[in-house]
Amino acid sequence: MRRQFRAAIVGLVFSTATFAGLLSPTFAQDANTITIAQQVDALTMDPAKHSSLPTANILFQIYEALVTKNAAGDFVPDLAKEWSNPDSLTWRFKLRQGVKFQNGEAFNANAVKFTFDRALDPKFKAPYFSRISAIKSVNIVDDYTVDFKTAAPFPTMLSSLYEASFAAMIVPPKYIADNGPDILATKPIGTGPYKFVEWRKDDQIVLEANPDYWGGAPAIKKVIFRPIKEVRTRIAELQSGGADIAVDIPPEDVAGLQGGSTKVASIGSDMVYFFAFNTIEKGPLQNKLVRQALNYAIDVDAIRQAILGGMGTDVALTLPASSFGYDPAWKPYPYDPAKAKALLAEAGYPNGFTIPLTARSGRYLKDREIMEASIGYLADVGIKVEPNYLEPGVWATVSEAKGRKGIIFPGWSGLDPDLVWYPILYTGQYQSYYSNPELDKLLDAGRATLDANQRKGIYEKAAAILKEDAPQLPLVQPPLIYGLSARLIWQPRADSFIDLRHASLQK
Amino acid sequence: MVGYLLSRLLYAFVVVLGVSVAVFFLIRIGGDPSALFLPPQATLEEIARFRTLMGFDRPLIVQYFDFVGHLLHGDFGRSLRYDQPAMQLVLERMPATLQLSGIALLLSLLFAVPLAILAAINRGSLLDRSGLVFSLIGQSFPTFWLAIMFILIFSEKLHWLPPSGRNGWQTMVMPSVTLAAYSTAIITRLLRSSMIEVLQSDYIRTARGKGVDDFGVVFRHALRNAAIPTLTVIGLQVGALLGGAVITEQIFAYPGVGRLAVESIANRDFTVIQAFVLLMAVLIVAINLAVDACYGLLDPRLRKRG
Repeated sequence: MRRQFRAAIVGLVFSTATFAGLLSPTFAQDANTITIAQQVDALTMDPAKHSSLPTANILFQIYEALVTKNAAGDFVPDLAKEWSNPDSLTWRFKLRQGVKFQNGEAFNANAVKFTFDRALDPKFKAPYFSRISAIKSVNIVDDYTVDFKTAAPFPTMLSSLYEASFAAMIVPPKYIADNGPDILATKPIGTGPYKFVEWRKDDQIVLEANPDYWGGAPAIKKVIFRPIKEVRTRIAELQSGGADIAVDIPPEDVAGLQGGSTKVASIGSDMVYFFAFNTIEKGPLQNKLVRQALNYAIDVDAIRQAILGGMGTDVALTLPASSFGYDPAWKPYPYDPAKAKALLAEAGYPNGFTIPLTARSGRYLKDREIMEASIGYLADVGIKVEPNYLEPGVWATVSEAKGRKGIIFPGWSGLDPDLVWYPILYTGQYQSYYSNPELDKLLDAGRATLDANQRKGIYEKAAAILKEDAPQLPLVQPPLIYGLSARLIWQPRADSFIDLRHASLQK
Repeated sequence: MVGYLLSRLLYAFVVVLGVSVAVFFLIRIGGDPSALFLPPQATLEEIARFRTLMGFDRPLIVQYFDFVGHLLHGDFGRSLRYDQPAMQLVLERMPATLQLSGIALLLSLLFAVPLAILAAINRGSLLDRSGLVFSLIGQSFPTFWLAIMFILIFSEKLHWLPPSGRNGWQTMVMPSVTLAAYSTAIITRLLRSSMIEVLQSDYIRTARGKGVDDFGVVFRHALRNAAIPTLTVIGLQVGALLGGAVITEQIFAYPGVGRLAVESIANRDFTVIQAFVLLMAVLIVAINLAVDACYGLLDPRLRKRG
């Protein structure tokens, strides 16, 4: 009896060992294929029907917009060749000729008009409606010229017409008319460098190079997008040859990935971390001296070195350093705890005070660690911060009711002062906890003209107010960190779009 | 037996109904997804406009009856994020999860049953004691830790197994073993102790006395009786496996329904959460019914009682 059982166990152990022996390294890399590991899968293949960046990143390979960005972050022509402003309420685009959608349908002014009419229709319920809502109408001038009409001057139009404005990706009208309004959700057709092949939900999306792409067939023939939420797993895939790009690598893993079969690429994102002060509510934060003291109290650069491994960019104001209008001559408040204490005493708080912090946690790279380090610095000058980390859904509900208390950690992205300062500093905007008529006047002026030089001058004045009145505490522009296979030649972009048009594999 | 099963069926229906009420109202306590779904730049007016478009501004009770009304027509609503029928999203991912949980359950039984029997008949031996230690370890290691260790060892260091996905049997090994670890441990411990208890009982002594051989005693007499409490736990374990699959799927990037559920909860995608929870409730209730029915097969006394 016992012997029988022992034999069974031995058999079991033996078969397990054989099984292990059967395992062969299955990670042979295909010389023409790359795999990209993002955190989550696409939600849909219809560019106007979602509000998710990972989805947009996949669709960016298939569809294109009128304008795009180059590696330096400048707007450059894509499906539009050039643009002009015949008057302050019109943006006129000359379209590229001879471009075809992947099904052979011709790209022309009608496709542009159809794309925006579709997404602007309230019944369509486009989640990114707000990005294009300033467009009142799209008028066809001729087959390859369109006019975008706005009710008021709209200086940030190009931001609304490139790939980060998801609903601005141009879709084929005839294909949709022939196959029904839901066809794009599962069978996307665009003008882009890659064609859709297969979507295994939550597992992988396969794209293949579009040989007829107007910009020339891309060098990499096949691209696979895989959703891998857990960062350790993304790194494991990278190290075992299962991925060529892995997004959102933590700074502490950078050193380990440099060398061998992997490398790291990093760029400052188009986002800013900062603390916003609730100056609407009664309390110490209504006092300018207190707000300045807080700005002096935190050693932002030390935090960046310690927590972000020295990556990312210090910012002087709550605007990405790569933004329109950002002046490199702007200087942040220096770290000076003695000065902070003196200012607090002058403001009538020699022993400091207690203040709540309203934030989300784990939403952005190292946000929690940066907040905790800041809380430590503030404690050193006598300010006791009571953090209240909210789940994103609760944060959204609280924000809608204008309920963010004390010090706030919102995180914001945008590369134009109008896209950043207007929503978070203009009086009465629901995410603004500050009111200054003088600043409001400037922010109004900044969005009322299309003249770039005039706008720069306006925002220069606004910057001076923001520095002096200190309604916010700028922290850092966090980095985007990608783990790459050593064989991939590719540049990351600040807006976190994965642009494969110029990517290639080492031979 | 039929009456017994009918009463269980009625009970099951009440449970599912209760779950539908609970899930509907619980997920709406924190507010609706409008502000979460729209880009951060959206204005209050745009959020309000979207809320009206989606009908989230109607009284909850009206929304509930709307939900139940559609449910009676088999319509679980459309996912806000995916803009697709919610139940379809769940069902699409269900086979992967069932496969993973099924293999994990099979693995647990394959290891647990022989291990428990061996341990019980060799009580106090080295095998028994090491089996106990082993199952204690299996029970106390958290799934996510075990999963990450597996990835570190078998993918990063040894390059034996791919770390993630669902692409051939190699990708099934680590997730199913991870998922099976806890169940194996708990089934082993339970079956071992019931076997020990049964092996000491009078009728086993009688069986041995009338000359039944070791094999007959263990399999025909002892195991059948020891199986009843174990069956209950196995039934519960199926639920635990389906639930545990959430973490396992997340770490191994396995395309099952658990990941969909986690993302949907984080984004307040109500219709998908409802479809997922209701389907799971039906599934677990069905498994419990099946376990109840199995009692009858194993124990004739329960059959007559009905």
